Amino acid sequence: MALVVRGLSKAYGAKRVLEGVDLEVEAGQIHALLGPNGSGKSTLIRCLSGAIVPDTGTMEVGGVEHHAFTPREAITAGTSVIYQNFSLVPNLTVADNVFLGDERRAGVQIDHAMQNKETERLLEQFGRSIRPRMLVSLLSVGDRQLVEIAKALHRQPKLLILDEPTAALGEQETKQLGKHLRGLRDAGLAILYVTHIIGEVFAIADRVTVLRDGHVVLTNDVSRVNPAQVIAAISPGSSPRTETDSRRRVADEGSVLDLDQVTVDGVGPLSLSLRTGEILSVFGLLGSGRTELVEGIYGRRRIESGQLRVRGRPYRATSPRAALRAGIVLVAGDRIRQSIFDKLSSIDNMLLPHFARLSRWFTRRTRTERLVFGDTAKRIRLQPDDPRVLAWALSGGNQQKLAVGRWLAALEHVDVLLLDEPTQGIDVGARRDLYELMRHLARDEGKAILFTSSDPEETLSLADRVLVLRRGQIVAELPREACTEQKILSIAHGAEITSSAVPSSSTA
Amino acid sequence: MAQEVISTEAPPPAEAGPPTARRVSGRSALLLVMRNALPVGFAILIGLFVALGAPNFLTLPNFSDILRLSAPIMVVAIPMAFLLIMGHVDLSVGSTIALSAVVLGLLMRDWGLSPLLAVPLGALGIGVLIGVMNGTLVTRVGLSPIIVTLGTLTAIRGFAMWLAPFPVFGFPRDFVQIAYTGVFGIPYLVIGAAVVVAIGAFVLALSAAGRHVLAIGVNEEAAFLSGISVKRTILAGYIATAAMAGFAGAMYASLLNSAPAGSLGVGNELSILTAVLLGGVSFNGGRGTIRGVVLGVLFLAVLQNGLTLMNVPAAGAGIIQGLALVVAAGLDLATQKAESRVKGR
Repeated sequence: MALVVRGLSKAYGAKRVLEGVDLEVEAGQIHALLGPNGSGKSTLIRCLSGAIVPDTGTMEVGGVEHHAFTPREAITAGTSVIYQNFSLVPNLTVADNVFLGDERRAGVQIDHAMQNKETERLLEQFGRSIRPRMLVSLLSVGDRQLVEIAKALHRQPKLLILDEPTAALGEQETKQLGKHLRGLRDAGLAILYVTHIIGEVFAIADRVTVLRDGHVVLTNDVSRVNPAQVIAAISPGSSPRTETDSRRRVADEGSVLDLDQVTVDGVGPLSLSLRTGEILSVFGLLGSGRTELVEGIYGRRRIESGQLRVRGRPYRATSPRAALRAGIVLVAGDRIRQSIFDKLSSIDNMLLPHFARLSRWFTRRTRTERLVFGDTAKRIRLQPDDPRVLAWALSGGNQQKLAVGRWLAALEHVDVLLLDEPTQGIDVGARRDLYELMRHLARDEGKAILFTSSDPEETLSLADRVLVLRRGQIVAELPREACTEQKILSIAHGAEITSSAVPSSSTA
Repeated sequence: MAQEVISTEAPPPAEAGPPTARRVSGRSALLLVMRNALPVGFAILIGLFVALGAPNFLTLPNFSDILRLSAPIMVVAIPMAFLLIMGHVDLSVGSTIALSAVVLGLLMRDWGLSPLLAVPLGALGIGVLIGVMNGTLVTRVGLSPIIVTLGTLTAIRGFAMWLAPFPVFGFPRDFVQIAYTGVFGIPYLVIGAAVVVAIGAFVLALSAAGRHVLAIGVNEEAAFLSGISVKRTILAGYIATAAMAGFAGAMYASLLNSAPAGSLGVGNELSILTAVLLGGVSFNGGRGTIRGVVLGVLFLAVLQNGLTLMNVPAAGAGIIQGLALVVAAGLDLATQKAESRVKGR
């Protein structure tokens, strides 16, 4: 047995992330690890790699039992982790990267000849034309993944852990990777393969374990389970929906925003149309292209081809300013990096886009500003509602409310509201307030709302219509009535190429 | 993996209320010291010169002189503060001062232009051109501000010396008079500087553009996504700074009745930067006040004046000025650290 984990637990304050997790990975086996966001997958890997110290439990690698690792001990014990974010140095050669921190020396100099030869040997098994002297920056993403693996193999691990290795890969590269991993398995390596994509489990893995809320809820040989069982383990039954709006109506008006065969940053071509008073959810996992889509519409990313129309008129998404002029606003996905000015006050954060409009004779009118702020703060239930509070002192939920309030403060100029993962990392109370606000904006104010999400429950409780995005393609378009959590999850995971997957036409 | 551990931020103490810009300074003794280091240092400096018996230091004519001689530095320091708040810098201002003074001088002496035409056309016009060049290279081409303006610092100086290998002098009488007259005993140069200060203070504190400048300095990406014309605002900062360097060039030409291309304004970029940093503007952007900049400029001017009166040789004055820049950078760093400690990040 290459890896035996027994009763591993870890808590952050009151929040228990792992609770008595058992896991066994045999040599010569690919073991897939699945689970929804927040299930504890990352924490488990970080315990194994020595990044964090577990509270209780043991980890046995190569027959030696440990309670905790330091990163160096983990490597010595035989564990190599390949993270999602590549750790390669782009302007070094392939060989230099493989030997980074473990250079071969000839006297005081690095023995490049020796390193190149050894790297060539490691890469040989992948049968690709990667040369040791190539600069990593010139390699494709798929080839970088292989170099990453070569680097791990160079340390002669007993256990190789891959954290969502295909998130950045295309269909073809994913297949290639699977082939190479099976080759390594047959050579006797134990592989722990963390993924979101159920299709990959059945294509690559020998055994599967599903983690949910820090517990192992399923572990079995892949040959003994079917995709439906795995999905059920990830997301058990649709929970009773308390917040469903019984009086929901979709105003049957013309479309506000139309996309016709639009491609952005390699995502697409995408076609969709968004109507007045409608809440449209774009459901997709990490790397599905959801952020590219909304940021493309908002003019943050360059539209490579295709046509956009706002109220039937051609619209060129050249910059956020152009989007704002067309009545399109975005609440961006990365709150800290893209939305919040941490050193500025609440009122500055909310009114920044509006100061010029609220001025007279180039002078800001602070009294008017306070009135607008007070009014909006009440609508978004900002806590505290003191305009002078600095944004860094607010909770994540209240920061997100500010980001939404920024566009609410001038609602008459807004027709289309785009939100990228609007409730990521915010507390339950703020989440409920935001849901209510989004419903109100669509139903009572007639705004068109498009939001992205990877949370099926959120999607179903808000959306009138759901588009499922996978690998940059709209793979299904479903009215809310036709959705269940399992269904959209399995489509997004690629486990189900269903008959319900309609071509991405905008007729509905 | 998208899983994240949500850090629950420690709520601020209930009795103190949530932190606002003002309350933050009350909550950290260190920050409080930082924010008031300059006025205190100022008082100590003046006291020191008085105690050491610098001749004529505490006289009205001397203070009038200090104000007049610091006017050219002041008019450049104000727009430079805007650039720094946005996370940018213009190191070419010293050379811009020289070139604009030379062009202004040639226009008046050789072309016979009246000062009323020559100052806006020559001095300010040259400044605007240089500002457009610097700003375009930085915002459109995407080069680093320090590299670009280091390059133009050298190139502009070279151009000025090529235009006028020997100092340009012999300006119209009226023009030279300007630097040495005033209304109600206030020198015209001081009035000019006061107008620039007033405009700067108004824009930063009371206009929408001032909020945009701060926002760009705090989080450029978020400012862009809020619909602010980030590039245009930064470009305007470069143009204003270089135009005011042109204005300063005109002030020097009048003060000296001469425009020496090789020596005018040499090292001014460093005194201006020192003054702005001493005034509490952050080199990393996002923080600064006009009040602080004015104090910073005056502090340096008093320091220089006192050293001159006490006959400290130029080499010694240079050492002290250089140290002042390092101290200013240290203050900036300490303030940033104190801020992040209050934030608990």
